[in-house]
This record gives sequence, C-alpha cells and structure tokens, in this order.
Amino acid sequence: MATVESNPSTERDAALRTVAAEFSQRIAAERAKSRIIRLGPFLVMIFLVIVMSILVPGFFSFINLVSVLQQVATPLVLSMGLTFVLLLGSIDLSLEGVMGFTGSIVALLVLNTKNSLDLGVLGILAAVAAGTLFGLVSGLFHTRLKIPSFMVTFGMGSAITGFGILSYRGIPASIKDPMFAQVASGTFLGIPLLTWFALVVFFIALAIERYTAFGRHVYAIGENESVARAGGINVDRIKVTVFAWSAFCASIAGVFGAIKLNIGEVIISSGFLFSTITAVVVGGTSLVGGSGGVVQSLVGVVIVTIIQDSMILLGVNAYVQPAVQGMIVVAAVALTVARGRKLIFK
Amino acid sequence: MEEVLFRARNIGKEYPGTVALSGVDLEVRAGEVVGLVGENGAGKSTLLRIISCVEQPTTGSMEMRGQPFRGRNLLEANQLGVGMVFQEQSLMKNLSVAQNIYLGRERGFRRLGFINWGRMNAAGSRALSAIGLKDISPARKVLELDFATRQMVEIAKVLNIVGDRKGGCLILLDEPTSVLNDAEIRRLFEEIKEITRQGSSIVFVSHRLSEVIEISDRIYVFKDGRQTALVDKANADENLLYEKMVGRSTSGEYFKVNRQTEPADQVILEVRGLGVKGYFRDVSFRVRRGEVLGICGVVGSGKEEVCAVLCGDDRPDTGQFFLDGTECRFSSPADALKAGILSVPKERREEGVIGTLSVAENISLSSLGAVSRRRLISGRALVGRAKDWIRTLNIKTSGPRESVETLSGGNAQKVVFARVISGENKVVILNHPTRGVDVGAKEEIYQLIREMTEKGIGVVLLGDTLEETISVSSRLVVMKDGLVMAEMDAPRLAKPSQLDIVRYMM
Repeated sequence: MATVESNPSTERDAALRTVAAEFSQRIAAERAKSRIIRLGPFLVMIFLVIVMSILVPGFFSFINLVSVLQQVATPLVLSMGLTFVLLLGSIDLSLEGVMGFTGSIVALLVLNTKNSLDLGVLGILAAVAAGTLFGLVSGLFHTRLKIPSFMVTFGMGSAITGFGILSYRGIPASIKDPMFAQVASGTFLGIPLLTWFALVVFFIALAIERYTAFGRHVYAIGENESVARAGGINVDRIKVTVFAWSAFCASIAGVFGAIKLNIGEVIISSGFLFSTITAVVVGGTSLVGGSGGVVQSLVGVVIVTIIQDSMILLGVNAYVQPAVQGMIVVAAVALTVARGRKLIFK
Repeated sequence: MEEVLFRARNIGKEYPGTVALSGVDLEVRAGEVVGLVGENGAGKSTLLRIISCVEQPTTGSMEMRGQPFRGRNLLEANQLGVGMVFQEQSLMKNLSVAQNIYLGRERGFRRLGFINWGRMNAAGSRALSAIGLKDISPARKVLELDFATRQMVEIAKVLNIVGDRKGGCLILLDEPTSVLNDAEIRRLFEEIKEITRQGSSIVFVSHRLSEVIEISDRIYVFKDGRQTALVDKANADENLLYEKMVGRSTSGEYFKVNRQTEPADQVILEVRGLGVKGYFRDVSFRVRRGEVLGICGVVGSGKEEVCAVLCGDDRPDTGQFFLDGTECRFSSPADALKAGILSVPKERREEGVIGTLSVAENISLSSLGAVSRRRLISGRALVGRAKDWIRTLNIKTSGPRESVETLSGGNAQKVVFARVISGENKVVILNHPTRGVDVGAKEEIYQLIREMTEKGIGVVLLGDTLEETISVSSRLVVMKDGLVMAEMDAPRLAKPSQLDIVRYMM
C-alpha cells in the first residue's frame, strides 16, 4: 500500500498558521470595507458641496442654502422611519400611501373649506395617530401572517391611498387654519420652521437608535434574526413597532406636505418613496439589514437633495431627473452590497 | 472535584429514519473539563444540543446540581446554569462587546427608557475581567475584533448569562479551536482553566485529539451515536482514542467491493496546488478513468470547499486543475457541467432536485438537448427517457409526472443519480450521496457508483462515514485543517483500516 505523507509535522504547523492567518486577513478585509461604507457617503457629500459650488451658478449662496434646508425637511422625516425598517432587512413601500392619507385627513380635521371641523393641533395629532395605526397593521400582517414586508406594505400603501381619496371624495379640502400658513412661512434663525421640526424628529430617531435597547435590538435582528430570537428578544414586537414608527414618520411628513401646499390631497406624497429609499441607501444603510443608521441617512438625504437642487439650478429637464436618481440608487447599492459568491438574489 | 454538577442518563435521540444517539450517560463534576471525541455523525453535536435544550431527547433524563434538569429552549437552559458556545459564532458583529453580552438583558441598565451605556460598559468590563480578559474594551464593536477575541467574548457572554449562582455552571464549547492559531488556542486554554478554577465546568468538543487530551480531565468517546469509552486523562493517548472511535467494520459485500474497477492509467482530472484563502491550500491529486477518489476529513478540513471549487461553485485563489489535460476555469456550475464535471450536492432538497418539477423533468434537467427537437422540449421523449431510468434504477414513484417533492429521500437521490448518469459527464462529484437514505437504497447507490466507474467515469466521493469512503473508493486523500495529510491506494483486497485514516484526520 503506497502511503504518501504530504506534509511532515513541522511544515504542516507552518502551513496551518498561514491558513489561520489567511482567515484573519478575510476578517480584516471585511472590517476595512465597513469603514469605507461608513465614511464614504460623508466624503461624497463634502465633495458634492465643493464641486457644485464651483460648477453650479447660484449654488453657493444663502438663498440656496435655505432652499436646500427647506427641501431636506420632508425626506429627512421620511428617512428616519425608513432607516429602521431597512436596518431590520425589511422595506416599507407604504410611505407614500401613509403620507398622502395623513395629509388628506389632517386637512379635513382642521379649519378647512369642506366641513365645519376646527380641531387645530388636536386634529394634527389625530391624523398622525391614524396614519401610525396603518403602520401597526402592516407590521402585524407582516409578522403574524408571515407575508414579506415588501408585499404587505405595497398592498397597504395602495389601500391607504384609496382611503385617503375616499376621505375627501375626490375633491380635496383647502386649509384655512391660520396656524398652517404661519408654520409654512415661519423661520427661526433664518431657517424654516419645518426644517427645525424635521431636526427634532432626527434627534428623536438618533436617541432611539443609540440609547435604547429597542434600537440595539433592531440592529441585532438585522444582523442575525434567529440568534436574536434565541437570545430572548421579542423579534415580532420589535418589527411591529418599527413599522408603526415608520408610519408615524410618514404621517408627520404628510402633515408637512399639507402645511406646505395648504391642501389635503394624496398626491402631495408623490415621488417621495423613491427619493427616500435613494437617500437612505446612498447614506450607507444596507438593504440586507444590520448596518447603517440615522446619521448616515441624514447624509444621504443631503446628498440626494443637493443633486436634485443642482439639477434644478442647471435647468436639467424635469423628466431626466428621476432617471439620474434611479441610476444613483442602483450604483449605490452596487457599490455597497456584500456579494457572497454563492448568495442567491431574488 | 468529586461533587457531580451535571448528569445525563440513558439519553437517546431518534429522528425519522435514523437513531442519532442511544443509551448515552454523561457525568460532569464541578470544576472539571470533560472532552467529547468521535467522528462526524458520532453524536457529539446532538448531545450538546440536547444538553443546551436546543433539542429534546427522545429518551433519558438529566440532572443539574442534583435537581432534575429540563428546559424547553436555550433560554431556559441558561436560567438553569447551562450555556453553550456555538461552533459558528453567534455574536452580532454590528454591536459593541458590552451590547452583545447584555443583548436581550438590557433591563438593568435602563432609566426612563434610555440605556446608560457607561454603566453597561462598566458591567461588561467586569464580566470580561471575571475570566481574565482585561484588555478588551467593552465599547468596541465586535466587527473590529479578531476572531479569537470574538471567541473569548462569546465565552464571557455565555458565562455571564448563565451566572455564577451557587455551585458553578456548565459551559459547552463546540469546536472552539477550529479557526484559531496556536497562540490563540493557548489563550483559550488559559481561559478554560480560569473558569474551572472558579468552580464551573466545561464540556469541550474538538476534532483535534491532542487538544482534547491536553485540556480534558476525562474524555468520552462516541461512535455511531453510542458511547464506546470513558478515558481518564492519565490513561489517554491518541492511539487508544482512535481505536475506540472507529470500532469494527461491516462486510465489503454491502459496498459492492468486488465490483470495484481497476482504474485505467489515463488521468481524467488533475488538481495541482489548489487553494482558497482561509479554507485550504496546496491540494493536489489525480483521478483516473474509472476511479473513485475518496476525500476523508472532518467538517472544516476543507474537503467541502475543494469540491465547491471543482464543481464551479467557488473560484480558487491559487493553483489549477485540469480535465482531460485542459485547464478548467469555471465561473459557475453550468461551466463545469459543460466541461463534463457534474456534482451531486449534499443538500439534495435545496441543490440537487427541483421539488416542484416532475421526476421526468428533473432527470433531463442537465441534458435537455437530448430530449429536444428543434430547441423545443419533446414531452414524449422526456417521459420516455424518464420511464427507462425509473425502471433501471428502480425508482419508487407513481410515474414520471409525479413531482419529486413527494418522493422519499432515497428515491429523490436516485433521480439525481439518473440525471448525473444520463448526462455526458467525465467526472462526477458525490457529496454525501447516501445521507438520509435508508439501507436498501444505500446499497443501490453503491451499485450505481460501480456502474459509473465501469463506464469510465471518474468519481470524487465525500462519504457519509469513513467506512463508506474507504470501502467505495479505490484511492484516498486525507485532509486536515485545510491541508492534504496523506494519500493512499485502497485496492479491492487491501483496504486501509479506518484507524490508518483517522490518524491523519484528527
């Protein structure tokens, strides 16, 4: 019997050390990549500001700064909700539906042209609560009936839009409440009030992400759901809460929309779903869950807004703009996604 | 040292069709390290899963600190003082060390809904230094730690969860050393000694016998789901353990050894210096026409990864391999198939058959050209061909139109084999072809392997058991920790013994 020993013991030990060393190299590479994804978007933002300031006439001006800050408000609020959903590894396609719905009914609850209600702040709270409730329902459908989040929220979004249109029976209400007009035009330190409100939402989201067990659990679920479950985390409850939070943010954005346009109509939300997803992904929150965060999303929102703003200043055809956005989101995902060689994508 | 911390009596575990464990007794004394050794499939992992309450035993009872021990899940086991460090690490890479240690147990650090990270980090620091890990910052993200440190953190976490309530606790370590280097293994062993000094006990599972002998006070040996020996540290040497692990062998007739073909001289597949970073390196061997080359090795030895490269599922970082003298560069299994290498994957239900398609469609899946007329599939040819194979291989099905989903494991495997043999392949890679298959169907599969070699096909086999690999193969390659340790012939009349092989595997 011909037995060949390929590796004498000492040589084997030496070789084994390199197999273990190669393994640690892999981990180092993984670490380096996560650092790039963390810092990359921030550098892109700085780069864009510099380039646009040089290339785009009128970009580097106080008026444009205020304009950008104003444009940031609504997508920032929306992205604060969506970030948590993406961190779970899920998606929320009902943002536009919820936003449009809340914007529609808030107009009916405050002083308006269609009915005699005049609930003021209470009306706003009621509208936001109603919108949030839809998120709760989506979350329950998702976890209890085990329907994929994209399908549940896709369907819910459509249904909610329908409820929104039904609420004003085709003819939207105009808002007559003076408070709305004041907020719409109001500024504090030269910055629009809505932007301040959006920043408040941002800091609330940041506090939830960084300083609560809930925030950490969202990350844990996104990283490895089964281990999180085995570790005693109530995964379903966290998921439902995240969808409710996302709908809450979308509802706030709906109120913003009503304030800005002075009218309660579902189309106030049109286009925001796509730009919000773009912003969150460009910021560096992974579509497969577990990495990213609200600070990244803030950066992402600023990047997307700067690009939109610059295209407007440059007079880029309005129909070309969504195409540019579409390419940006695909490129961002292509750059950041972890490509396991054997992973199957559907 | 005499006080018994944990005791299991007559533990048995049956899965549909197989017995994973039977009549196992285990005793762990306070402050000792108990080693478990055995081949893959000997039942070590099943026993660990039962002790940690991840699975429930079919028979038997357990005791912890003299009280009956029974938990419905890992959490309940933890509360009763038993914790497990899994082979694949279960830390959340995107969270900090302290957050990982207290994941799901943040209540104590919460005030008005917000967590006091300062306090959690301080507590994390204490948890780490309790087992002598003073140089790990609890605020660092796990992603930033090297693999060995992650392992230590995981142990600290489990120890902290299980707590040091009166009388110490029991920590199960499943292959903790498999990806550690020498220095890191030293550190781990220091850790283990520190833990046992404090009165807790460890169950240590590793395929490296020298390590088990070094660290354990007593060693239980497993073979085919049974305990074959209990050896004290004083009496333990590797040869004794090898012998207890392999046991006697069954007859060659079962494996159709008499039909083993004498391989031709013509080399059909040649592998030269193949390597994938971090998994295996410098792997070289040749497969001749009509030869069965068996690759032996434990899980993690790199044999699965070698096959993944050969069948186009993965790309090598170094080295080359040649089919019929032509160098192969595959970017997908489809390329490999085109070249003539087909693999029968281990995860049959997921990778081997398409459950929702019919038996006939599955059989012709890799060679639809043969049943097509002008690029359109001919239903009649498809079914006709399937009928032939159903008859030849004795596949138990209601007909060629039945979906594979509803077939038994053995019959589904035969469908896979029909697909393999019916195609024009030069090399077939069989990854655990008899896993989850009943005894009768196994014999038929051995017969099929013999038929393939008679046709001149070269076979690379990863057997389900060592005995199977030795008996079916005409040449053997033994791998350990990503390296080829030995290569030997296994002719019909002079098969190497399992002992010969295990020596190189462990």
